[in-house]
Amino acid sequence: MMSPASVLALLAVALPLLYPAMALNAGWVRAMRFALPLLPLPALVLAVGADPGWQLELPWLLNGGLWAMDELRRLFLLLTAVLWTVAGIYAAGYLKAHHLRRFCVFWGLTLAGNLGLTVAVDIGSFYSLFALMTFAGYGLVVHEGTDEATHAGRVYLIMAVLGEMAILAGLLLASVAADSQMLADLPRAIAGSPRRDLIIALLIAGFGVKAGLPLLHFWLPLAHPVAPTPASAVLSGAMIKAGLLGWLVTLPFGEAALPGWGALMIVAGAVGAIGAAVLGVRQQQPKTVLAYSSISQMGLIVLMVGAAMADSERAPVLFSIIALYALHHGLAKGSLFLSAGITLPSGAMRRAAVWLLIALPGLSLAGLPFTSGALAKLAMKESLLEERLEFAVAGYLSPLMVAGAVATLLLVLRYLWTLNGKIETGRNPPMLVTGWLASVGVSLVAFWWMPWEVEGLVKSPEWLPAGYQLWALAWPMLIAVALAAVALLASRLVRQRSLQ
Amino acid sequence: MTLWLMAGLLFTPLAWAVLTLLTDFSRGRLVTWGGILVQVLVSLGLWLTVARDGGFHYGLGGWQAPLGIELRVDGLAVTFVLLTAVVASACGLHAGVYIDPDKPWHRYFWPLFWFLWSGLNVVWLGGDLFNLYVGLELISLSAVGLVALGGKANALRASLRYLLAALLGSLVYLLGVALMYGQFGTLSIAGVVSWLGVHPVPAGSGLALALMVTGLALKTALFPLHRWLPPAHGIARSPVSALLSALVVKASFYMAARLWLELGEPLGNLAAAQLVGLLGSAAVVWGSWLACRQPQLKQVVAYSSVAQIGYLFLLFPLTYSVSESVSLQAQQGITLQVISHALAKAAMFLAAGNLILSAGSNRVDALTGVSRFLPFSLFSFGLAGVSLMSLPPTGGFAAKWLLLQASLGSGQWWWILVMLIGGLLSAAYVFRIYRASFLESAGPDRFYHPARSLEVIPMILALLALGLGLASDQVLSVMALPFEEGGSP
Amino acid sequence: MTLNAWIPVFALMTSLIASLVIFALPEKGYRLRTWVNLGAALVKLSLVVVMVWGVFQGVEYGLSFTMVPGVTFVLKADALSMMFAGLSAVLWLLTTIYAVGYLEDSPNRSRFFGFFSLCVASTMGIALAGNLFTFFLFYEMLTLSTYPLVVHRGTEKALRAGRTYVIYTLTGGAVLLLAIAWLHGVAGDLPFREGGHFMDADPDIHRSLILIFILLVAGLGVKAAIFPLHGWLPQAMVAPAPVSALLHAVAVVKAGAFGIVRVVYDIYGVEASSALGVLEPLAWLAAFTILYGSFRALSQTDLKRRLAFSTVSQVSYIILGISLFGPVAAAGGLVHLLHQGIMKITLFFCAGNYAETLGIHRIDEMDGAGRRMPGTSVAFTIGAFGMIGAPPLAGFITKWTMGSGALAANMDWVIVVLLSSSLLNAAYFLPVMHRLWFREPAGSWPEERHWGRLETSAWLFWPPLLTAVMTVMVGVLASLPFSPLSWAELIALREYSP
Repeated sequence: MMSPASVLALLAVALPLLYPAMALNAGWVRAMRFALPLLPLPALVLAVGADPGWQLELPWLLNGGLWAMDELRRLFLLLTAVLWTVAGIYAAGYLKAHHLRRFCVFWGLTLAGNLGLTVAVDIGSFYSLFALMTFAGYGLVVHEGTDEATHAGRVYLIMAVLGEMAILAGLLLASVAADSQMLADLPRAIAGSPRRDLIIALLIAGFGVKAGLPLLHFWLPLAHPVAPTPASAVLSGAMIKAGLLGWLVTLPFGEAALPGWGALMIVAGAVGAIGAAVLGVRQQQPKTVLAYSSISQMGLIVLMVGAAMADSERAPVLFSIIALYALHHGLAKGSLFLSAGITLPSGAMRRAAVWLLIALPGLSLAGLPFTSGALAKLAMKESLLEERLEFAVAGYLSPLMVAGAVATLLLVLRYLWTLNGKIETGRNPPMLVTGWLASVGVSLVAFWWMPWEVEGLVKSPEWLPAGYQLWALAWPMLIAVALAAVALLASRLVRQRSLQ
Repeated sequence: MTLWLMAGLLFTPLAWAVLTLLTDFSRGRLVTWGGILVQVLVSLGLWLTVARDGGFHYGLGGWQAPLGIELRVDGLAVTFVLLTAVVASACGLHAGVYIDPDKPWHRYFWPLFWFLWSGLNVVWLGGDLFNLYVGLELISLSAVGLVALGGKANALRASLRYLLAALLGSLVYLLGVALMYGQFGTLSIAGVVSWLGVHPVPAGSGLALALMVTGLALKTALFPLHRWLPPAHGIARSPVSALLSALVVKASFYMAARLWLELGEPLGNLAAAQLVGLLGSAAVVWGSWLACRQPQLKQVVAYSSVAQIGYLFLLFPLTYSVSESVSLQAQQGITLQVISHALAKAAMFLAAGNLILSAGSNRVDALTGVSRFLPFSLFSFGLAGVSLMSLPPTGGFAAKWLLLQASLGSGQWWWILVMLIGGLLSAAYVFRIYRASFLESAGPDRFYHPARSLEVIPMILALLALGLGLASDQVLSVMALPFEEGGSP
Repeated sequence: MTLNAWIPVFALMTSLIASLVIFALPEKGYRLRTWVNLGAALVKLSLVVVMVWGVFQGVEYGLSFTMVPGVTFVLKADALSMMFAGLSAVLWLLTTIYAVGYLEDSPNRSRFFGFFSLCVASTMGIALAGNLFTFFLFYEMLTLSTYPLVVHRGTEKALRAGRTYVIYTLTGGAVLLLAIAWLHGVAGDLPFREGGHFMDADPDIHRSLILIFILLVAGLGVKAAIFPLHGWLPQAMVAPAPVSALLHAVAVVKAGAFGIVRVVYDIYGVEASSALGVLEPLAWLAAFTILYGSFRALSQTDLKRRLAFSTVSQVSYIILGISLFGPVAAAGGLVHLLHQGIMKITLFFCAGNYAETLGIHRIDEMDGAGRRMPGTSVAFTIGAFGMIGAPPLAGFITKWTMGSGALAANMDWVIVVLLSSSLLNAAYFLPVMHRLWFREPAGSWPEERHWGRLETSAWLFWPPLLTAVMTVMVGVLASLPFSPLSWAELIALREYSP
């Protein structure tokens, strides 16, 4: 007898997977548009309603399928479902009639892959759904059909295929080493395998393409600006996290201390966090800036992943913080991306309100007190304290985090600046506004009721921040604001000079 | 019972030859149908008798050797008798429709046809050298006559050439026979063998054998003595060509083979055996090569005969000083090759005749588009071609398989190469015809559609050639039946 | 003899008799011919299903008689033969349906379907052959019956291709014959037997055995299109689409690959082959062919030629799989026999649909065809992703199984080959996908025809969709009993523990 949760899990994947069949009938195109927000609903119910621990055995599937949910996967599933829901609402208002059916088909497929991979516990279905997401995502990237979109699509696809191959090789090696088709058996087997380093390298690189690891990130700044706005939101908010999830469920955390790999990841994370900011502040397109911001944020997460690899003792704690950070970033970044597509109302008060709502998720990323960002940043800071970690480069983590925080706010400011230059005044389709507002609401409010659990953190904004923490959060922000002000002044000066 | 069968077998053809001399073509045809029925029944009856009871010697008219006419009725002989009945009746029936009854000289077709048939039966069953000679002459002369029925000047030229070759071959053979008689004092092959059993081999007796084989090789058109064959077979009317290629050349080969198998071991030598094999191989390669280059359909088929005959002569090296089993394999292989080539080549010539009739031209390129409008005749041709290429499951393949095994078993691997190359070359000329016929031509059906009966006959022969491969073990098992020495009533 | 002895014969006869009936039917007997075709295909399919069930239960089907002195004609159904027979029975049905639609209103249909059935009869014979001799018999019959199909169009180009085809295959056949005859001389009449015959062969004949093995592989390799014997395959693409589909997916190339499987497993025996040292060179050759075919496919501009080189590459997976010593890799190779068939036939059906409906032959004409022909294009997409090895499709199961097997056999380099091949496959299929779905059509199609409600004729529309669904199903449901993977594992198990 199947439990309700497992039925729901099947439904959560099957619904978006079968939804493209609606495209067969040209008359259903309107229904398809308005079905977009409904697709992730079973997953949403599953993530919110069902307690972790259910299992769904699908012995006929591939090499024997098993779907299940634990705390980690629950958070990822929640993030994915929420983000796709709000983006779906937004998309229903955003999309034009041209090639609408095609977009919906790829939307459904990508969504099915993204949701499915978070609950898949066996290698076969995990990898299948991951690949489905990757390849169907191409359809979202190139949807607009412009030359830039095609170019971005090509880069995306080449890197994605290379990534898939690396993942395949890594999973294959690990699976043979473990003599098992379940993900859960892999970390131990990898840790004990003579080909350990090769497998780790393949998996880091393979999932790293999705997660925007430096040097594997090239597709991100190309693909995000050209994709339709709701697609960018899910690409950056949810799909990028799929790569992260891939790492978390396959790499040998907690099985063996790998200081070498940890250090490497920390370096990569640092390069990503700061390098992306350096590149990002020089961009003209708001969505490109956001793409770099995503790389930068993922860099911060990679710092934690690196720490978890290096220190096997701390890995379980770090896991919950990584999940929290991913949730926070996904929601905030999704909201920011969605804001890139709205137009301003005419009244001054309303304009100010809209600007505020646009800016708040951004500031949350930067760690504005009373936001999810503050919580996540503090938790991260707490967990990466030097004295708690036992490996060589641990001492560099704190300064890196500060630099990351500065970088984050700079990018957000840059985004607001460039958006200010592009944004137009006019009316928004109601669905679009609803979607965006929902994303803002989720990021700022609903976050607090989400089932994240971190040791020592309470689920309430009032708790935060105590005085000393306030300062810890604020001073990097102040530096960033100062830097931004200097930059602004400098550019004014330069402009005046050139006018004279 | 046996008496009646033997009498029927040997005398009906002669009687019918005389009968048909008195009629014109159309009535001769009717008469012939009756004769064919009798012959087929008698041949079948004899075959069944031998298959049941084993073979025997038969003294014709009750006189025994060395005085009388001695016949050797063994499994092999009756198999060939039956083969003759099948092929000859097919050709006869086909000719009855195919040959134009209005040309006055065509009335001679039937007598010649029957003389040929009786000659063939004599050769298959003949036990002594002189009887064999008589049968062979009967065959040669009627065959020449049949070729000449083509009527035109070049048909006469070809038949004259054929006649000269046949006579020359006979002379050489007779010379050998005379030498043989001088040395052994008997013309019976069995007699010679039993003489050799007690006496040492006399010097120079190899020469007699060589002469006889040479004469017969000329009649069989072994390379390089093949030049007379393609014009004769190419120019004759199609049913005649079929008879000539399928049966007539086999008769002289049959004699050569019998001589070699009985006398080769004591009288022959290795070099001679290899030489004959080499000539056979040359025939395979050269004949196939020329077949690829002929512009005319029937010339292709005729040169193919030259090539296929070449295979037959591999019998000589593959049976000389080899083990019993290898020799048996070689003999079986050659027997199958004779049968399957007879069936396939008859089918091919008859089908080619139909195609020429339809296309109105003898040229290969005239076949363009034929597969669209005349699939049936082409299909018969194609099936026969499969056997010639010795692809499975045809009799040609079974034959080749056995010859391959014999070559491997005797360590004479070079014949394998010949067979493989020969197979590929034969594919080349067969596919050349296929290719031409598959070319699509725009435009409507411009072909004459021959009568259904003309189309069915080659198809049956081709199917027999095809099925032979599957049934070859059964066919060969008749050969292996016990032979009752001394004869029976 | 019992009924069980005759069931293989019936299975063979269904298409043989169908062929003869069709030859006898007049060209205009369209309806009757279609019924004969479909009826025979269905009867054959049900016979195969019966045998599959029986073989699974351990029933022996087969008959034998002496054909030529010393050799027997053997028909026998074992697990491996049922794999091939099942493939040909299923795909024959679909291809027949497809061909009926494809050749609508074209001349020479009687001839086409006659030879078509004959070709399937040969395939069936190849599947059910119980020794090399019988195998060879049907193998050559296949050559002959496919020639008229290749040259069916009757153009100069078709005839040239047919000539190349015949030269290659008949030469291969001659080499094969030599090898079989030699083997027969060395070891006698050998029935196919799991585990082979040469486990403890006399060391004196090792040299001969190795030479014979090389000859066998060379002879069979022509049809299996192993480098450098693949030259005929791309040329044969001039044939009508159903023929290409059949040649590639089921009949010809598979016959070669199947023959090699038979030789390695049921004549030599995998352990003996390994001990003779012939497997590893074969694996290298197969690996090279895999990469070579993919490289050549990259530069083809004609859709069918690209698919042809893809076949060159894909068929060698089978050979690679069986030449890696180990049951898992073996299962991977064997299962590809089916998987490649299903995927490739999908692609060829689709290529045919594009050509018939829109007149598209070259890849650069395919822009935007996905919108005009969504059903076909979906099928094409699935087939192509299957070829790339994207999960959860058929090709992925192959690659995963074979990769696991290679690692288990300590042949890590195979992974590199598999991945590179996947990359190359992606490189030549993904741009086609892009054109199909994301480019705007260039204006009018080269030669468009309309069929009313569906995007193309219903006869052409459904077969590729069905095979596409099968491509998905054999992948997704790989763990079900009677799935290709389970069946391949059964065969591998029987081979490795006879």
